[in-house]
Amino acid sequence: MIEHIGPQLFNGLVLGAFYAIVALGLSLIMNLTGTINMAHGSFMTLAGYLAYTMVLRKVPFGWALILAPLIAVLVGIIVERTLVRPLYKREPFYSLLMTFGLSLMAEEAFRLIWGPNGVPFSPPPALAGAASLGFMQFPTFRIFIVVVLLIAIAALALFLTRTRFGLRLRAAVQDTEMIAALGTNTQVLYAVNFSLGIFLAGIAGVLAGGMLGLSPTSGNALLMPAFVTVIIGGMGSLFGSIVGGLLVGIAISMTTLFIPAASEVSMYVLMAIVLLVRPRGLFGEEGIFG
Amino acid sequence: MSKPLLALDGVCTNYGKIRILRDVSLTVGEGEVVALLGLNGAGKTTTMRSILGLTPPLAGTVKYAGQNITGWPAYRVARLGVGYVPEGRRMFKDLSTLENLQLAENGRGGAWTIPRVFEHLPKLAELRSRKAGRLSGGEQEMLAIGRALVANPHLLLVDEPSQGLAPLIVEDVYRILGELKQTGVAILIVEQNALLALKIADRAYVLDSGRIVHSGAAAELAADRDRIRTLMGLDVAPTG
Repeated sequence: MIEHIGPQLFNGLVLGAFYAIVALGLSLIMNLTGTINMAHGSFMTLAGYLAYTMVLRKVPFGWALILAPLIAVLVGIIVERTLVRPLYKREPFYSLLMTFGLSLMAEEAFRLIWGPNGVPFSPPPALAGAASLGFMQFPTFRIFIVVVLLIAIAALALFLTRTRFGLRLRAAVQDTEMIAALGTNTQVLYAVNFSLGIFLAGIAGVLAGGMLGLSPTSGNALLMPAFVTVIIGGMGSLFGSIVGGLLVGIAISMTTLFIPAASEVSMYVLMAIVLLVRPRGLFGEEGIFG
Repeated sequence: MSKPLLALDGVCTNYGKIRILRDVSLTVGEGEVVALLGLNGAGKTTTMRSILGLTPPLAGTVKYAGQNITGWPAYRVARLGVGYVPEGRRMFKDLSTLENLQLAENGRGGAWTIPRVFEHLPKLAELRSRKAGRLSGGEQEMLAIGRALVANPHLLLVDEPSQGLAPLIVEDVYRILGELKQTGVAILIVEQNALLALKIADRAYVLDSGRIVHSGAAAELAADRDRIRTLMGLDVAPTG
């Protein structure tokens, strides 16, 4: 049993990195516009299927990993401009319902196009096999996933803290009216911010397709843990989403090892404990929907 | 009077179904300082919001440098050269002083750069890395003015700059506004503290329940305290 702890901990980190990156996308969109994007999982699934189709048509996996999320972003921009944007001035409840409806429609569309069952989407041969981490063997593809997700998180952090656009986004989260009065077109900010969230979801979707399988509902399966992640990390905090994701991943993988039957419930228990101690989550801020 | 840089003509603005501004007409000339006075709730802030497009007017026109900008989105109005120092400062509290200033840089060019703002407001230079939320009220007001300046505006809309500040700091704020006037920036200043604003203003308007009830030279109004008392329906506190 003990010898399984190391690999399982690493599995938890991989899973946690997925939750973190999906939660980051959710948080970005929620922080700026108050939109709870229930269709976030659908964008993951879409990117997964697109990458699957590309790889079938001999597009190298590396290219599919970039192109599929970009196409998902294009769809995301259309959705944001036509469906989400008119609801920005309303209560979050409206966009929640709308995006929930959208996710149901997307699920059926995936069924129609790619069939009701899961499709086999395996990692490319170069990333199959296992690599030695010195103290243990570990699947190469999972190491690749962790590296890609870490790069994506670091790139997001750099974008938000080191670029002018990132600065405007951070400011707009605090006061969109004032940022407009300083000469920034907030509609462009909203669209780019939404796209960023979808791009992160897309990358996670392609990688998850190769690790956890790909079916019409696979993205939505990651969505609930991602919401739990946002709540544990604290709404409004991007850093919280990262910490929360890793905690949820480790909680699930450790309970899978010791009490397999409780693996599903463990993240909710974790959430309950965190909320008892810190009602706003670990790094949460006040008045996100104020 | 010099040719109007800003001209409001018959502006009516609602908040929801409630009419706030009724047929407001006013002008601000190039390099002119105009005070917009009135009690709380008279519609002063709404007038500013109508100009900026934050609360677009239902009727009437807003012209800037001869161009009809009625109902333009705020970012386009700002890019024309309209700076805004809002009521309550509205700093980006989680960002540093420097970042707050950087947000206003727009590449329009002009005399005001961040180093120049730091030169004029040395206190801000000392606090450049401090989060704006941790600045005092007076420091925030300086930052709000500095932020508006970095955009090199031709017209500055200043809303209640004395609100919640200690008298000494208010004096400082008005000294800076006076210096700005010397550089040729037109200023529309909203104040409840009438005498304070009248000191630096060329002309003044008084708003009451959303209507302009008086307009005239600032010095004339300042000299006639009874008039101010009647117009604004309140006692005028003597100022230092």
